[in-house]
Formats: sequence, structure tokens, C-alpha cells
Amino acid sequence: MAFLFLLPLLVLVVALIAYPIYRAVSLSFTDKLVGYPERFVGLKNYIYLLHDDTFHGVVRNSAVFTVGSVSLKVLTGLGMALVLNGVWRWRNFFRGLLLLPWITSTVIIALTWRWMFDSFPGRGFFNSVLIDLGVMSRPIAFMATPEGAMLAVIIANWWRGFPFFGVCYLAGMQSVPLELYDAASVDGAGPWHRFWHVTLPGLKHIIIVTILLSFIWTINDFNIVYVMTRGGPGTATQVFATYSYEVAFNQLRWGRGVTVSIFLVPLLIVGIALVSRYLLRDKD
Amino acid sequence: MREGRFNRRKFLAGALGASATLAVGTQAAPAVKKGTSLRLWILKTYVEPTNKAIEASAARWAQKHAATVSVEYFTFEDMQTKYVAAIENKNTPDVGQLETGAPARFAGMGQLLDLSGFARQIEGQVGKPPANVAPVTVIGGKTYAIPWYIMAAFWYAWRDEFEKKKVKLPGTFEEAKKAAHALNRPSENFYGMGQSWNRTSDGYGVMQSLMYSHGAGWTTKEGKYRSIKSPAMQAAMKWATDIYKEGIQPADTLSWTGSQNNENFIARKIAQTSNGPSITFALENALAKATDAKERKTREEALANHLALPHPGGPDGRRMWAIAMSFGIFKSTKDPEAAMSLVAHMLSPEETVAVMKDSYGQFAPVLDKARSASKDYFNKNENYRTFGRAAEWFTATGWPGPVTAAAAEVQASNVLTDTPAKVIIDKWSVDQAVEWGDKKIKEIYDTLRA
Repeated sequence: MAFLFLLPLLVLVVALIAYPIYRAVSLSFTDKLVGYPERFVGLKNYIYLLHDDTFHGVVRNSAVFTVGSVSLKVLTGLGMALVLNGVWRWRNFFRGLLLLPWITSTVIIALTWRWMFDSFPGRGFFNSVLIDLGVMSRPIAFMATPEGAMLAVIIANWWRGFPFFGVCYLAGMQSVPLELYDAASVDGAGPWHRFWHVTLPGLKHIIIVTILLSFIWTINDFNIVYVMTRGGPGTATQVFATYSYEVAFNQLRWGRGVTVSIFLVPLLIVGIALVSRYLLRDKD
Repeated sequence: MREGRFNRRKFLAGALGASATLAVGTQAAPAVKKGTSLRLWILKTYVEPTNKAIEASAARWAQKHAATVSVEYFTFEDMQTKYVAAIENKNTPDVGQLETGAPARFAGMGQLLDLSGFARQIEGQVGKPPANVAPVTVIGGKTYAIPWYIMAAFWYAWRDEFEKKKVKLPGTFEEAKKAAHALNRPSENFYGMGQSWNRTSDGYGVMQSLMYSHGAGWTTKEGKYRSIKSPAMQAAMKWATDIYKEGIQPADTLSWTGSQNNENFIARKIAQTSNGPSITFALENALAKATDAKERKTREEALANHLALPHPGGPDGRRMWAIAMSFGIFKSTKDPEAAMSLVAHMLSPEETVAVMKDSYGQFAPVLDKARSASKDYFNKNENYRTFGRAAEWFTATGWPGPVTAAAAEVQASNVLTDTPAKVIIDKWSVDQAVEWGDKKIKEIYDTLRA
């Protein structure tokens, strides 16, 4: 009887999670080309990518993009939560306002940021402001250098994602018992010590979970990079998702394209396992 | 397996029937059953009137045969994604517009009908493609698609800038670079040129024109791999990277992803750029929308002042990479006769010219009957006369060999533009970059299934 109740969930898990993962992993062991039957090639795709300098660049770019974005999101999310936690007047309005980036379409966000960094006369926000203020006379081509383009996609991704962190941390802060702050104050703790010894430990689990979730979302991000830079200039912002797309859909090499994405899976599984173990240990 | 044999027989019988119907007379179209329904995939371009004109042409066929044509669009952006998804999900359209590399790629996958007989039979009605365009649709001696038009890039220049400085209009890449130096005024935020090596046809298309015009290609005449480590490639790479080193382009040129060269040219921030006639469309369209006499005068001047020159040549001649759009019929079609009838209708000189007239020069017919019928249209002015010669200079991906799936993959992998980018961004030497590009190209040819 219990099995019958579990059956719908089991079917969903198998159909929506287990089968696609199995299919992706099995494709990565083939030389599947679009329109052709797949042939088993063992670890050939993995070995190819391990020796592919473009893929090495993709790993580096993805690491910089993900670590940069997630770090910024944690810091600004904490800042946002601290400010909102102390605001009582117009509290709901500000919470709603700061959630705007989270609910805006990613493509719109990417286009907007692309325009903001643009050096086209009269359109690029940063260039226009700097020129109007007399700081410089000619526009800076932010997006034309590897560093500038990477910074631009990190900022766009950060802007889109930080409200999620802020809202999660705000919820966490509001669940920290006020008595702990009172006790710390009585013991002479100032605002910094209260934050460091009361707020942060109270948010520990939330911080870990948000970092893990955001890490997964960011490292798999396609839209922002594709719309803003298409992986360029050159391959300076090519990340896992855009490279996988280019290999699978433009070069029509599905087996290899899937392998690019599959390379991430062990890393993500280890991350998830470590976090789960840590959280469960704390609970015990 | 049995089902496969049955379907093939059924299909062959259908194709034979269609061929027999066509053989009755060159003007006769294949028989179309009443109530037939077809799916037609076409390219949506920036020139909206062309898209509408193609839809209208399909609608005329549908009306004539009491049939239905459902027109679905793809863009340059999602063309591959849509076709890949359709092929893998066995949901291909009946008739599809195919870009240069698609007939070779899709025929190799066994997706396209062999149209050899059909092509011969409608030749009397629509004419032949020129010898440099025909191989795009002929794979292994069989015709898998029929060319319709060329969408080419031309060398846009502001006439007054050249006249003011008494600079010769460029006919070669070297002259274009020299002119760029003469016209360059960075202090006024005006640059001599704007050429990006990005991941669009504005990048890899121009890179191919540059390479082929220097005599550098990565294939033999038979379409087999040939190393690009040659003096010709060195010379092409020198041009491609010098234009970045010599300060004759806006600093953000390498980050342009498609429309920015149009914008910079129209805004008169650059003196020259390679682009399709969408620039002419934008200028003509702007003039049509002028609201007062002053605005009208300015826009008239801009239109008269912009030049679309033939794409520059090199030491080995003028070889202009362009997009050759053709019609293919997918094997999945339930009604090959109706599909052939639709293709014959759209390729007819009357329908082709009707679409072309709404294309602002972007659509240069290739079949000789439509080319003859379009002579007056392309005689409109200097720019249009250049547009009308697109087929003459057309050079396909993989020159000097035929278009093959491997050649199409070389283009799609962006290795051609990543090679100069390695020099410009990563500060590699030209030798290192060419070595890297050559290795990538060879790997494609070594590992792609025949």
C-alpha cells in the first residue's frame, strides 16, 4: 500500500531526474552527432576535453565568473538584509523594491547591463556619466577587454541574484532570538560583535545553502553571458553553458557538448554531499 | 527495418510520381491534393518587408491550390537550434530555407530529399544557378536543395569622408586599411574602420572573404583538409590583427556582437564597415519616416552619401563569402509533390522578383531567369547595381573545395575568428595563432564522420 502512495513520486523522479541524467551521462560516452546514430566511444570525449585548451579556458572563466558573482551576492545580500532588518517604516515597500532584479527577465537584465557598459556615444550609462562629469573625454571600451567583459557579466549576474540572498538572510535574521542580542549587549558587545557572534552564527546554515544553490545556478548560467558577450571577446567569457551550447548546437557534436556539462556533475555532487553532511551533523 | 523499407518505397513512389508529373511539361507544377497542409520554415531578417513578402508568396500558392501553408520563422540566432531540435525530435518542416552549409550537413544526415530530378525538370521554368553557387546544393553529385538568393556583405563607406580627404575608394583590403588611416580622427571619436572578429557572420564571414581573397583556405579542391600554415594565411592574419594594433577602429570593436557595426556606421562614427544591405534598408526606412522637411533633407543626404562597394579583394582576387539561401525538402514530408510544387512556385521568376522588390537589395536572386527579370530593379542606383552582382563574387564556406559538413563546422566552431583574437587579446604571435587554428581545423576533419 505504501508503495502505491510512493509510486507517483517515484515515476516523477525517474522520468524527470533519473532518466535525463542517465541519458546525458550515456550520451557523453558516445560520439553522437546531430542527425546521426550515437556510437559508444568510452572516455574519448572526456580525454579530448582534458587536452582542449579552449575547455581549460572555459573552466578558468567559469570559476572566476562563479566565485566572483557568488562572493558579491553574499556580501551585498548580507548588507541588504541588515539594512532591511532595521527598517520599520516603508519596510514592505523596500523589500518589494529590492526584489525587482530577481523578478525581471534575465534577457532584459543582460541587455540593460550590456547597454550600460556600452561605449556607443550617448547610450553607455557609465561612459556617458564619466564623460559628462568631465572625468574623461573618450569612452572606455569596457566590453572589449577580457577583464572588462568578465567584470561586466559578473556584475550583471550579481545584480540579478543578490535579492535572493538578501531575502533569505533577512528571514534568517528575523528568526534569531532577540534575547541573544540583549544578552550580548549586556555583556558589552557592540554592533560589530553582535553581528559577528550572534547574527552570523544564526545565519550559518542559510549562508551555506544559499551559496550552494547560487553556485549551481551561476556556474550553469547561460543567458547573461550569451546575451552580453556570446563568450567573447575571443573566448574570454566562454563558460560551461555557452561552450556546451556552441559545441552541441553549432558544431552539432552532441556527445561532446553534453560532456562539457557533465564535467561539472562530480564537482556539484561532492559540494551537495558535503553541505548535506555538514547540515545533518549540526542538526544531530 | 521492414517499416523503413516500406516508407522508402512509398516515398520513392511519391517522388517518382512527382517527377512524372513535372516531366509532362516544364511549366507544369506537381499535382497538389486539395486541402494539403505544409509547414514552411523561412529566415526572418532585419528587413521586415522581405519576411512579409515571402509569407505573401507562400499564401498565393496556398490560395491557388486550396492548400494551407504554415510559415514558421527562424533567425540567424536560432537557426541551428531550431533545425537541430527538429531533426532530433523528428519534427522537421516539409520545406525549409537552408543557409550555405545546411544542404551538406542535412543531406549527410539523410534528412533531405534528393531533388536532382526535380531540379532538372524545373530548370526550364526557373533557370540555372551560376557555376560558383550551384555546388552549395550538390552533394556527392546529387542535388539536395535549390538555390534561391544570395545575402551578401558589401563594403560600406561614407562618400563625403573619402572626397573630403581625396582618398581613393578601396578595392582591396590593403586599400581599405590605407584609407582608414587617412580618414581616422580619434580625437573626434571618428574612426577609419569598424571590423569585428566576433561570433556572427559579420566576423567569420569577413574573415573568410579576407582569407580566400589572399588565397588562404583550409581545404583542397576536393574538400579535404589542407593546412592553413601558409604565407597567404600569414598575410591575411597580418591585416586582421594590424587593424586592431594601428588604432584605426573604435576601442570596443572586438566586443560588437552583430548590430553595432550598423549603428556605428549610421551614426557616422566609422568611415567603413562590412555589412549586408540592412544598412541601406535602415537609411531608406528612416527617410520614409521623416516628419519634416529638415529631417527629410538630412536623411536624403545620408542615403545619397552612403556607398555600398564591392567587398574588397586581395592579392588572389575578390572572393566574397556570402550566405546562399536555398530551399530543401525534408524526407519527413508527407506530401513531397505538394512540397515540390510550393518550391517551384517560390522559385519562379515572378515570385522571386516580387519578394526581391521588398528586400532593399538584400535579396540577390541566383537562378538565371530571376536574375534576368531583376535587372531593372538592380539598376536603381550605384549601390543597387553592386548588390545585383552578389552572385558573381560569391564564394562558399570551404573554398576552394565544395561546401562540406566539415567546412560548415569549421565556420560554426568560430575557430576562424578566434585565431586573430588570440593575437589581439591573448597577445600570441601570428605563428602561434595560426598553428593553434590549424590544429583545431585538422581535428574537425579528422573526427567528423563521413
